[in-house]
Amino acid sequence: MPKERSINQNNISDALPNFRNLGVVLRIVLIVNGLAIFVAMTQAASIQDLGQRLLFGSAYLQPVLISCLLILYILKDILRRLDYRQGWGAVLLLVAAVSGTIALLGGDLFESSIGYSAFQLWQHIVVSVTVAVITLGYFRFRAHALSPAVASARLQALQARIRPHFLFNTINAVLGIVRSDPKRAEGALEDMADLFRMAMADNRELVTLKREVELSRQYLALEQLRLGDRLAINWQTEEMPSDALIPPLMLQPLLENAVYHGIEPMHEGGEITIKLYRSGKDMHLDVYNPYQTQGNKHSGNEMALMNIRERLLLQFDVEASYSVDSGKDYYRVHIIIPYIREEY
Amino acid sequence: MSVVELPLAVFVVDDEPPARNRLKDLLADCAEQLPLTLVGEAGNGVEALDKLSEVHADVVLIDIRMPQMDGIELAQHLNKLHKPPIIVFTTAYDSYAVNAFEQRAIDYLLKPIRLGRLFEALTRARTAVPVRSEVLQELTPEPRKNLSIHERGKIVLVPIEQVLFLRAELKYITVRTVENEYLIEESLIALEKEFAARFIRIHRNCLVAKEEIEGFEKVAETDNSEAHWAVRLKGLPELLPISRRQQFIVKEFS
Repeated sequence: MPKERSINQNNISDALPNFRNLGVVLRIVLIVNGLAIFVAMTQAASIQDLGQRLLFGSAYLQPVLISCLLILYILKDILRRLDYRQGWGAVLLLVAAVSGTIALLGGDLFESSIGYSAFQLWQHIVVSVTVAVITLGYFRFRAHALSPAVASARLQALQARIRPHFLFNTINAVLGIVRSDPKRAEGALEDMADLFRMAMADNRELVTLKREVELSRQYLALEQLRLGDRLAINWQTEEMPSDALIPPLMLQPLLENAVYHGIEPMHEGGEITIKLYRSGKDMHLDVYNPYQTQGNKHSGNEMALMNIRERLLLQFDVEASYSVDSGKDYYRVHIIIPYIREEY
Repeated sequence: MSVVELPLAVFVVDDEPPARNRLKDLLADCAEQLPLTLVGEAGNGVEALDKLSEVHADVVLIDIRMPQMDGIELAQHLNKLHKPPIIVFTTAYDSYAVNAFEQRAIDYLLKPIRLGRLFEALTRARTAVPVRSEVLQELTPEPRKNLSIHERGKIVLVPIEQVLFLRAELKYITVRTVENEYLIEESLIALEKEFAARFIRIHRNCLVAKEEIEGFEKVAETDNSEAHWAVRLKGLPELLPISRRQQFIVKEFS
């Protein structure tokens, strides 16, 4: 996991992009090729000339781009450990080296018609580094533009994740058993402490799935205290990769929704099914609960779920998917995130 | 007054067993200073109505958020009892309801419930008068899910979705379902407003369920030359006349 300073929140945005993220890679490819087209446009004399220039340009550009992306992909963890300025320096140096090397190696190939000069070598390096600066600048800008969203999402998360309704009802329930079953009351208070510690923690770092499941179980134990037999849980975790890393409090709010909207309004209660499994490079979280449609009481639900969707987007960009399937009497949320393991 | 000497009869309604436990513990604590008896408890609104038509309670403590029938609807039905109890709502967190209570001086207890507050509420309840039904209705934007009908000392709940039409007749309103007919004492105007989503007025004295309209027929009365429109409802043999003023309904629904 990257080391992140937690005192100053703004530092979160001053980090190199994750070069292994599909969204980031796609953006780089688009920006670089977009710039190439733009430059060719400014120089071309005719449409045929534009085509020519793009073709010749690509012969040099694509190998440089692909090599850089490949090296960045490999070096991602090392780069992330550097501080932000060093990171920039390293990336720019890398781009300069790659573009220079390819120009030297393939120089005759690209420029055979004109011949090759030292000036042209430097020209290639300067242009490549400039493009890299623009690209990194874009990512910095994007991170800054999104960072107020991060802050407000976190704030919203604190409000929406653990409902006041749950807090006060649970305290009331614990008080209700404190005289008759003091041991159980103790356990419940301990579970509550863990849950709130997590909710109030700095939630930027990923946690293991095992930890999140543990927390979710503690949460459900508290709900069971209040709801008794009305709440049944079906955990399907046989194929769960315990070491997978997920954003903290991703599962618990889904369950809280399921209880609040699915179980509580039902006199006879119902069963929540939680299925966690890995398939290839993806980690799947699936929460299914019975649901009775009554009027338009969906708003609170949407609010908490939107929050999760937003956090997924911030964390994984296009690599996460979030879908809801709801029918007349059920509600199902399915989340797919990339499977990441704890490395060091 | 000798009535004051009787212990206060208290009834508890909450869907969560530990929450009922908590109230019972606290009531036992109150009983040391304030003569009271717990006359019963219920886990939902329907059960509460059932028990409370058998046993009288002076005060009913009602949780607002409950499955099947929420606390506010339960209070509305209890208000129609011969001797309506004083109602004290309990809630964990519901800013909307709490504001509404404040504005209308309705007593409520916030969970976790404190002994002192409960004691105060019970003391006040001795001299309080029940809240009027209209005020309870204002507490929630949601219409009731049932109408409550008194039949031989029992309360019968008729789910709104089973009601085909409501017709004002003298003092009462006839509530018609496929199988039965009941009488209630409410105002048709208030019912029209509350259940606007389900019913439409076809006549000065009659509301019909929109979903149950099967068709429209032109009826010519024997002694009257002019024919008028009438509604046929699903599962009912009789036709309900539409007044001249409401004739636009025929176009809208057919």
